[in-house]
Amino acid sequence: MMAAEAQATRGRGDAPLPPEPILRLRNIHKSFGSHEALRGVDLDIRPGECLGLIGDNAAGKSTLSKVISGTYIPDVGEIELNGRAVRFSTPSEARDLNIEMVYQDLSLCDHVDVVGNLFLGRELKRGPFLDQKRMLAQAETMLAALEIRIPRLTAKVEKLSGGQRQAIAIARAASFEPKILLMDEPTSALAVAEVEAVLGLINRVKARGVAVVLVTHRMQDLFRVCDRVAVMYEGTKVAERAIGETDLQELVDLIVGKGGH
Amino acid sequence: MASYTERQAGSRLADYLSERAQVLSIALFFAICILFFSATTTTFLTTGNLLNVVRQAAPILIVAVAMTLVITTAGIDLSVGSLVALINALAAILMAAGLPWPVVVVLMLVAGGLIGGVQGWFISYQGIPAFIVTLAGLSILRGFALLLTEGYSIPIRDAAGFFWLGRGEVLGFPVPALLAILVAILGFIVMLHTQYGRQVVAVGSNMEAARRVGMPAKRVLASVYVVSGVASAIAGMLIAARLGSGSSNAAQGFELQVIAAVVLGGTSLMGGRASMTGTVLGTMTIAVIGNGLILMHISPFFTQIVTGTIILVAIWMNTRLFDRNWRFARRKPS
Repeated sequence: MMAAEAQATRGRGDAPLPPEPILRLRNIHKSFGSHEALRGVDLDIRPGECLGLIGDNAAGKSTLSKVISGTYIPDVGEIELNGRAVRFSTPSEARDLNIEMVYQDLSLCDHVDVVGNLFLGRELKRGPFLDQKRMLAQAETMLAALEIRIPRLTAKVEKLSGGQRQAIAIARAASFEPKILLMDEPTSALAVAEVEAVLGLINRVKARGVAVVLVTHRMQDLFRVCDRVAVMYEGTKVAERAIGETDLQELVDLIVGKGGH
Repeated sequence: MASYTERQAGSRLADYLSERAQVLSIALFFAICILFFSATTTTFLTTGNLLNVVRQAAPILIVAVAMTLVITTAGIDLSVGSLVALINALAAILMAAGLPWPVVVVLMLVAGGLIGGVQGWFISYQGIPAFIVTLAGLSILRGFALLLTEGYSIPIRDAAGFFWLGRGEVLGFPVPALLAILVAILGFIVMLHTQYGRQVVAVGSNMEAARRVGMPAKRVLASVYVVSGVASAIAGMLIAARLGSGSSNAAQGFELQVIAAVVLGGTSLMGGRASMTGTVLGTMTIAVIGNGLILMHISPFFTQIVTGTIILVAIWMNTRLFDRNWRFARRKPS
């Protein structure tokens, strides 16, 4: 793993002291009926850093990321943003504080065109009307910046392939200056070149000081972009490792519960 | 040495046609209806009759434009016919009581919006299916109309301005039809070019996605029933102004005509897919068929059978014949 080593040396070199966390989660609990999805999770997210969130299915990764994005309201626990306690009651409140999320189900509107989906919820207007021309022009720049190629931006999203749809969901979250970017399985339906583009994108937004949380099953991606990895197991965080101090085997053991606990 | 080439983009014309397949098919059906009635009757294609058709279609078109919004959110409003009757009767009663007609018009628009708002609140904030809420509304509102009028028709007297709304002409063109055209243009602009229209489509397409991106999803869902309430109020007053009276028996079966027009126009009952142009064409088709059958001396009761059949066939084509992109669904080889 050449890339991993390079990443590790760089990580140790230019950040002797970890920066203050932009987001701090303490003792987060969330239940759905009798099912305890999260059982007291603590997590720090730092600017300019990519945190990998891994774990088996139903370990609570998606639930945790949805708590951060305001989609779920935790039953118990505190969230601090830049040292101030916050409480999101809707996803739009989190979005207003520059917390963006790429949902696993993509959350696209099939009957709206590509441009409309990119600007969903923050349409540009000219007077009382939608400014379609300006949105189209900006959408082209947004997609070009992420090296995403969609033949026709006025096509309805339902006509696009799974990979193209995922690319649009990512572009929507990454293009509006997020401070925290949550990505739930962003590369699961992508082709090789598109995965490379997303990993490149993560490294670019990290360099701009954005905190990235990457929920993924693709272990090889972790070593390409993450600085830290948090392992979830049955609704708890069982381990946290700096990427340079761990390897694939240890992470796999932690995920399945063969680790030291 | 591999050579890389780019795939050619698909034909723009093909994209355009496939996206508008439903509007084109209803336009074709509309044209066939017109040709058929022109050939089989001598009076259909006269100016007088055509103006009559648009005058009679006006209330349906106004409510169909609003119903397009409702159905785009994957909802339905079955109460429009009863609301038209209630407003129709209430307007006549208030004018008979001596209220000036402009005041009555404003009051009725507010009442329509409020009644729609109550139904929208149950649907959106209480999560009761639109079908149930508006079915109850269908019964309740017609009941109120009957209770207020005790079944009698109430004449409207001395309200020339009000009658002008239903019977007047501007340059030879009926006023109600002009109003309906204005409403249709407004609906077209709202649906395609405003943030509200985008929100309606988004809520119908993927409500959770709309919520996640910060749209006021519940408020939008409730609002379409306010719109259909106001539209029903306009329709109710146009009918009262044309007939010069208010009756609890007005607009029987109106909701079916409206829903048939919208569905025939290609707006999907599953939500998200809307076509204002289709709604206008659908309404005119329903109106032309109703008018043509009468000119052919076929029993007016037959119109009901045709309307029902159109709904069934349109929904059948909507779900079976075309796939979700409105292309002809390919049959699986057996």
